[in-house]
Amino acid sequence: MVLRTRGLTKQFGGLTAVDGVEFDLAADECCSLIGPNGAGKTTFFDLLTGKLTPTAGTVELRTAGDWIDVTDAPPHRTAGFGLHRSYQITNLFTENTVRENVRIAAQAAGGDAMNCWHNAGAFEEYITEAEAILDRVGLAEDADESAGALSHGAKRQLEIAVALAGDPDVLLLDEPNAGVSSESVGDVVALIEDVATDHAVLLVEHNMDIVMTVSDRIVVLNQGSVIADGEPAAVRADETVQRAYLGGYERGDVDDHTEGAGGVA
Amino acid sequence: MAISPSASGVSGANALASSLRSYARDHAVHLLVIAVLAAYPGVYAVAVNSPFSAEAVALLPRVETMVAVLYFGLFAVSFDFVSGYTGYLSFGHATFYGVGAYLVVLTANGKIPLLPASTPFVLLLVLGGLLAVVFAVIIGAVSFRLSGVYFAMITLGFSQVLYVFVRDWGYLGSNPRDGVAVTGRTEGFEIGVPGVDSLSLAVGQLTGDTVELLGVVHLTAAEVSYYMVGIVVLVCYFAMQRVVHSPFGRTLVAIRENEERARAIGYNTFYYKLGAFAISAFFAGIAGGLFAGYRRSVTPESGFYFLTTGDALLASIIGGFGTLAGPLYGHLFDEGVREFLSKGGSGGGLLPYLRENVGQGTMETVVYNGMTVGETIDVFLNGRAALYVGVVFVLFVLYVPNGLLGTVRDRLILSDRDD
Repeated sequence: MVLRTRGLTKQFGGLTAVDGVEFDLAADECCSLIGPNGAGKTTFFDLLTGKLTPTAGTVELRTAGDWIDVTDAPPHRTAGFGLHRSYQITNLFTENTVRENVRIAAQAAGGDAMNCWHNAGAFEEYITEAEAILDRVGLAEDADESAGALSHGAKRQLEIAVALAGDPDVLLLDEPNAGVSSESVGDVVALIEDVATDHAVLLVEHNMDIVMTVSDRIVVLNQGSVIADGEPAAVRADETVQRAYLGGYERGDVDDHTEGAGGVA
Repeated sequence: MAISPSASGVSGANALASSLRSYARDHAVHLLVIAVLAAYPGVYAVAVNSPFSAEAVALLPRVETMVAVLYFGLFAVSFDFVSGYTGYLSFGHATFYGVGAYLVVLTANGKIPLLPASTPFVLLLVLGGLLAVVFAVIIGAVSFRLSGVYFAMITLGFSQVLYVFVRDWGYLGSNPRDGVAVTGRTEGFEIGVPGVDSLSLAVGQLTGDTVELLGVVHLTAAEVSYYMVGIVVLVCYFAMQRVVHSPFGRTLVAIRENEERARAIGYNTFYYKLGAFAISAFFAGIAGGLFAGYRRSVTPESGFYFLTTGDALLASIIGGFGTLAGPLYGHLFDEGVREFLSKGGSGGGLLPYLRENVGQGTMETVVYNGMTVGETIDVFLNGRAALYVGVVFVLFVLYVPNGLLGTVRDRLILSDRDD
């Protein structure tokens, strides 16, 4: 396990957005978090990264063999502990080049960011790392473009690249497929499967084809509570899940995800 | 303008060659600007003694004006350092300028405990900068809890409180509302190596040193002040320029672009913003010290008042926000236009030029409804400088939103932008 929550609860006034969630994530796992709109998925992410402070419960990360409590740690500290995220709504340094977007994230993970006397170009390890990550997500050719000028699909790839550059142990991907055209779904799946090989991944996704393809495990959230947790096949067969969320999802769509690309969105 | 990120990131053998090329090219621009500025007093002296003397006097800013352009330009550059790079508008920036200026004047008057009136000026500049850093840390620690317009307003609030304070604090001088002049020290403020007379030259219009070299070069007090102030401004500019291109400076740009994401990738943005604010205040304090050393007096209006910040904002917008050097050109433009449109006696300009060089007959020609050409010129030009500067400002915001330097950079270096 690299990440665990115990009794994690978040209330906004009278509304309980996340309700006593007990969640564990293994180091080599790709786990999907699904649920209808308003189920509390993004709130759960915000609690993990420290953007929001929980009303009750704890968030713990395992680094170097020890569990550390990051419940009240602000986002820059959880990032320092190796918990990085991408955003559902593209959230980049738009005026900067694609390379600088990734380089600045790599620099944050290194120890040189407070250096205010040497030229940033002299710290080549961050530039090299940025180039390698851009190569991995397939944006190497756009490195000199400004991030704001990229196509939507490329921005989604850059989202993941920026999250990767922080050298995460746990990668939280918030709808990496949001707004991506159906032809590009295959690229997104390939990218998620690739990053899942060397990171623990927690994925929020509405496209069931992607979820069923890439996940080792699926957690279903409804009205802030976990209503199912298990292998994709078991979750798909679960009655409660069927009622709450999956609707008419049929086996078979999974195997041919180019045709069934729309999925249950 | 140093090594640009895109140039140094090219992989393989190209990297070195390309970064060297870009280094040489960028510093060629620096050297060119320095050469032009260094040659200016000579060019001005030659031009005003040439057959085109009247035109030169009307068009070119006086050397005295250029000294003001340099020290206030440094203040505007320091304003841009925090406002243009982090995106947090430091609307109380005049505080730091005032702190530096008041420290110089008060020390010279023996009003600062532990600092003798004869403290070397260079040391006073540094101390003024450090005192400004103390103010910046205190003000910033409170203000950086806010963002956007609220940040601008709270920094403005701090500076106005201090403005009222220095206006009414009797300890500062006999009539603090009218400012404080240097009375306790007759010799000029020297810039150079402290304690070494041969390596120091005094600045000031009346107290400045003059220089004779080999009987050929003769520098007036204003020209000596111009060069000595210029050296300090240059050193400060290069220091800020280094910071801007360092990993720290890049982080500031990331904060400006998207502070939430900067936090999410692991930056404690509060400390970066506070650091930028403190660095910026340090150089604003030095600029204020230069101002006080050259003018030998300071008023609450020239130090802490919000219109002083306003002038820096004006210079930054005309010169280019987030370009660092731009505000210096912006302030040069601002001062140039003001002087060109001012009355005689404060540098000359269009009005005295027309009065002296347009024939009597033309001046008395009636243009419209009994109004002569001479009267028309008077109506449109006499004391109207601020009006035209305002119009120019509006035009800049509308049509040159990136400012002078920002636009030039966009046009010339389109392929490898600075940030």
